Amino acid sequence: MMQLTRRGFAIAAATLPWIRPSLAGGWDAVLAEAKGQTVYFNAWAGSEQINAYIAWAGGILKARHGITLEHVKIADTAEVVRRVRDEVKAGKASGSVDLVWINGENFRAMKQDRLLFGPFASDLPNFRFADTDGKPTVLVDFAEGTEGLEAPWGMAQLTFFGDGARIAAPPGSIAELVSFAAANPGRVTYPAPPDFHGTTFVKQVLIETIGDGSLLSVSIGKTEFVAAAGPLFAMLDALHPHLWREGKQFPQTQAQMKQMLADGELLIALTFNPNEPANLVASGELPPGTIAWQHRDGTIGNTHFVAIPINAHAKAAAQVTADFLLSPEAQARKADLGIWGDPTVLAMDKLSPGEAALFTGQTAPGAVTDPAPAIPEPHGSWVPLIEAAWLERYGA
Amino acid sequence: MALSLEHLSIALNGRTLIAPFSLVIQPGEIVTLMGPSGSGKSSLLSLIAGELELPFDATGEVDLDSKPLGGLAPEARNIGRLFQDDLLFPHLTAGQNLLFGMPRGPKREREAAMQAALQDAGLSGFAERAPHTLSGGERSRVALMRALLARPAAMLLDEPFNKLDASLRASLRGFVFAHLAARAIPCLLVTHDRADAPPGSRILTIGESGEIRDA
Amino acid sequence: MRQGLGLGPLILLWALPLLGSLGLALVPIGDGAAWAALFDHPQLRHGIALSLWSGTAATAAALICTLIIAAGLYRSRLWNRLQAFSAAGLALPHLAFAIGFALLIAPGGLLARLLAGGESPPQWVTAQDPLGLSLIVALTLKEIPFLLSLVWSGLARGDFAAGLDGQWRAARSLGHGPGSIWLRVVQPQVLRRLFWPILIVWVYGTTVVDMALVIGPTQPPTFAVVIWHDLNDADAASNARGAAGAIFLTLVLAGLIALSITAWRLALKLRQAFQTSGPSRLPVPRTAAAFVGAVTVCLYAVTFGLLLLMSFAPRWPYPLLWPEHLSAVAWSGLLANGSPLMLSLVLAAASAGAALVAVVLWFETQPERRDRWLLGLALAALGLPQVLVAAGQYRLFLDIDFTGTLAGLFLAHLTPVLAYVAVVLAGPYRALDPRYAAVARSLRAGPFHVWWRVKAPLLRGALAMAGAVGFSVSMVQFVPAQLIAAGRFATLPMEALTLSSGGNRALTAAYALALTLPPLLAFTMAGLAGRPRWR
Repeated sequence: MMQLTRRGFAIAAATLPWIRPSLAGGWDAVLAEAKGQTVYFNAWAGSEQINAYIAWAGGILKARHGITLEHVKIADTAEVVRRVRDEVKAGKASGSVDLVWINGENFRAMKQDRLLFGPFASDLPNFRFADTDGKPTVLVDFAEGTEGLEAPWGMAQLTFFGDGARIAAPPGSIAELVSFAAANPGRVTYPAPPDFHGTTFVKQVLIETIGDGSLLSVSIGKTEFVAAAGPLFAMLDALHPHLWREGKQFPQTQAQMKQMLADGELLIALTFNPNEPANLVASGELPPGTIAWQHRDGTIGNTHFVAIPINAHAKAAAQVTADFLLSPEAQARKADLGIWGDPTVLAMDKLSPGEAALFTGQTAPGAVTDPAPAIPEPHGSWVPLIEAAWLERYGA
Repeated sequence: MALSLEHLSIALNGRTLIAPFSLVIQPGEIVTLMGPSGSGKSSLLSLIAGELELPFDATGEVDLDSKPLGGLAPEARNIGRLFQDDLLFPHLTAGQNLLFGMPRGPKREREAAMQAALQDAGLSGFAERAPHTLSGGERSRVALMRALLARPAAMLLDEPFNKLDASLRASLRGFVFAHLAARAIPCLLVTHDRADAPPGSRILTIGESGEIRDA
Repeated sequence: MRQGLGLGPLILLWALPLLGSLGLALVPIGDGAAWAALFDHPQLRHGIALSLWSGTAATAAALICTLIIAAGLYRSRLWNRLQAFSAAGLALPHLAFAIGFALLIAPGGLLARLLAGGESPPQWVTAQDPLGLSLIVALTLKEIPFLLSLVWSGLARGDFAAGLDGQWRAARSLGHGPGSIWLRVVQPQVLRRLFWPILIVWVYGTTVVDMALVIGPTQPPTFAVVIWHDLNDADAASNARGAAGAIFLTLVLAGLIALSITAWRLALKLRQAFQTSGPSRLPVPRTAAAFVGAVTVCLYAVTFGLLLLMSFAPRWPYPLLWPEHLSAVAWSGLLANGSPLMLSLVLAAASAGAALVAVVLWFETQPERRDRWLLGLALAALGLPQVLVAAGQYRLFLDIDFTGTLAGLFLAHLTPVLAYVAVVLAGPYRALDPRYAAVARSLRAGPFHVWWRVKAPLLRGALAMAGAVGFSVSMVQFVPAQLIAAGRFATLPMEALTLSSGGNRALTAAYALALTLPPLLAFTMAGLAGRPRWR
């Protein structure tokens, strides 16, 4: 073990120059180096639309930059974090991951353990179009500064959806959701934390119930948490008796919830991709009457990113790939509801009229009609406390 | 308590193995049936035991103690058998093998009968031995005692000495015949070795076309 | 010399990498904080109780059902058809079965549509019930074909079958009816050979994750799921707690198994009294066997049918009994990309073949008393969470620079495959009467000749069965491709897993069925090979 660690340090030291990449040669040098490299892009692959989009990007990168993009299909990004951590520990200089689709706690873990290459994001030519003012989460990932260690790729916001034929008035707040659940006992639920979507839902309840909102953006201690989270658990206590199986059992994942909605067992499901309901309608998994909504005063929103591990083999090509994914062309295609429907991270006013025109802004059955503001994630220190308290209270 | 076979015949795919014949075996009598391999001797025993299945085609009737056995399951016929192999159950000890077929009753009596049988067979102290630790002769004796302890009303012996070496054979023959005589039950022995037949007993042979006659 | 040669492949390709992996995987357990965190876990007690309960109940139920079916059908005309059913049941991956079974029993499933009707699904607590009953039923059903096919191939083995045939006739001449002979003569000899497979089923049922995620209880879930969440976390401290939890669950389970073995020894004494209590005309439980068998076959048929239908149905809302429209989108997506299937087939054939060779070499060169080391290591490999073992393996392969290579991928598949092959083959192989080989050697046949001409034909069924089990185990491995090969070689189960994380049920069903077909072929072939030739 000792030896491994020492070797790990040696390699980290050897790669030190990369931690502060001076773009002395400029972007052209990066492009030149990238030519002929293969980028192993580790990205969640649970959607055929997303997989097809990545394949499209690979085609363009090959044609324009001579880069081969290999989509390494992943079910859970945490697995990539563990893999890179082990590789670095073992001193493997030429790692298996060149680019990873990431955000939130996975990013925080990699950043804390110094597993990321960079900063590189702000040096990407297309970064100048990023909506750093209008979308603060482009620079702050779950209250953790990105510090250029990851490049923004797309936007996400907590969104609820269900069958419009069975929902007269979609609940516009947590309080309304409680009334809705009381009126439709056993037809509402959320995934059990620490499932990512479940934790997000509980955070949403926290944001809507907390007395002093300023606490959310700072690091919180255990004692302050108990006081601050009182209203949160009071609200959950009010909600749970009306939930599916009286709040004693919860679905394990959001995917499972989606299936329960499709079967009619639930009336409401939730997602982090505001356009997922529209996608599901398009693929025939949900009926055309599907509606999607966000809470009136806003729901948690965040950004997802791509990052380059510190021991990536093809760092140059990975940067070129990250840059292309950020380009108006790629972003517009990604935002297209017929392709993927992932909202852009770019600011329309920074684009040329021609580029802005690529974003058609079309709508489709199942799309959110009345978007609400995106609320930043609470500071990362809240998450373990929320998850532990939830488990203690409802988990056993 | 006689075993009587009436107009028995066996055919296989239209070929006659055993032509119709009748035979009565008296209690205490051992009748020897001789014939070459494949002549249908064993099939005849299976027929009497109630185990003969398709594609064999059999006719006739078997009576034991004047009761017809037709249609009875093998275990209901009360007919004991000795086979070419000892067929001791490998997962049971010698003593447990003896208890296996012994009619139900008080445990102590059954145990005593088992020990007595072992002693009778010259196997005192063998009760806990696993079958595979016994010699061929010992196994054969256990097999005979096992069959007799089930208190059969008749015995069928299917070349039981066939697999033993010559020196063992003679002593085992004596052992078997003495015990069978003591029970006074009808026995049918099939073999291809005339020396297997008890001295002075009735011997039948199977002819080429399946006819059975006195030798 | 020969001993060493025989050991070589197994040690080099399997035992050493496995021991290294286990060693590295268990490094975190020196971490006191991990243990403290584990014992603070609010779901520890209830979760462990659920794990032990569901795994033990399912194993017992599967064993009892298997023995009832076998008792009722042994020596009947249906007996030789059993293998065909077992093949189909075995080939269906555990996860696929759980998904299909949930489509049947869940509140939105077929049963509710038939029985409850109404506008929306009834609020039944079927699937994911807090007591884990639906998980137990699914596990039981899934293990019956495994145990049944082992009973079948064991009883079908040439010399053993001939011996039993004689014993059967002898027992009847001693006044025992068929039911009594099964219980007193056949079953004891069969059970002895099932010792290790039963342990495997037990360990599997207690530590299973994928099935538990689909139909197991949720709050708390079984402890295997709790561990799985921890081991999959990005946070190193959680990983350490998960590793500690895995060790703890394994220790508790080992204790329970040891206790049960002691209890079993005591029960054997009672059984001996029963075996020698004298003749009985006990009939065979034909009605019970027909009932259990028919229910099992029907549930499998319905599960298969629902999976097939679901793979063509993007949407199938309640309370329709038939999907609104059918579409082959899922299948065309799957078939458009053939290379993962090819790679999976090659890996499965190669790892099953290598495992067979290595295990047979072990049996040929090692005395039987050493088997407990082989089988114990196999159980450890299968009992510890695969994520944990794989994590250790990954660290090991990093050091020897095997990650991201085909060789590493192959070795990682070999780990569980060889373990299963050893467990399935040990019973029949060691039960072979050594005199056959002795006779052959006395006829001046060389060792290979003896094996090829005498042992292999006698063990044909068992070898084919072990190979098919190995093949099917390899077909469903996704962790090696993901972790060891760093996702650089796409295998079919990896595609299936990553796609199913998106929750598209048609795609999931299509992939589940695609994963079923190659093992189905393998088991069918094994069944044909195992059919006794003289009947």
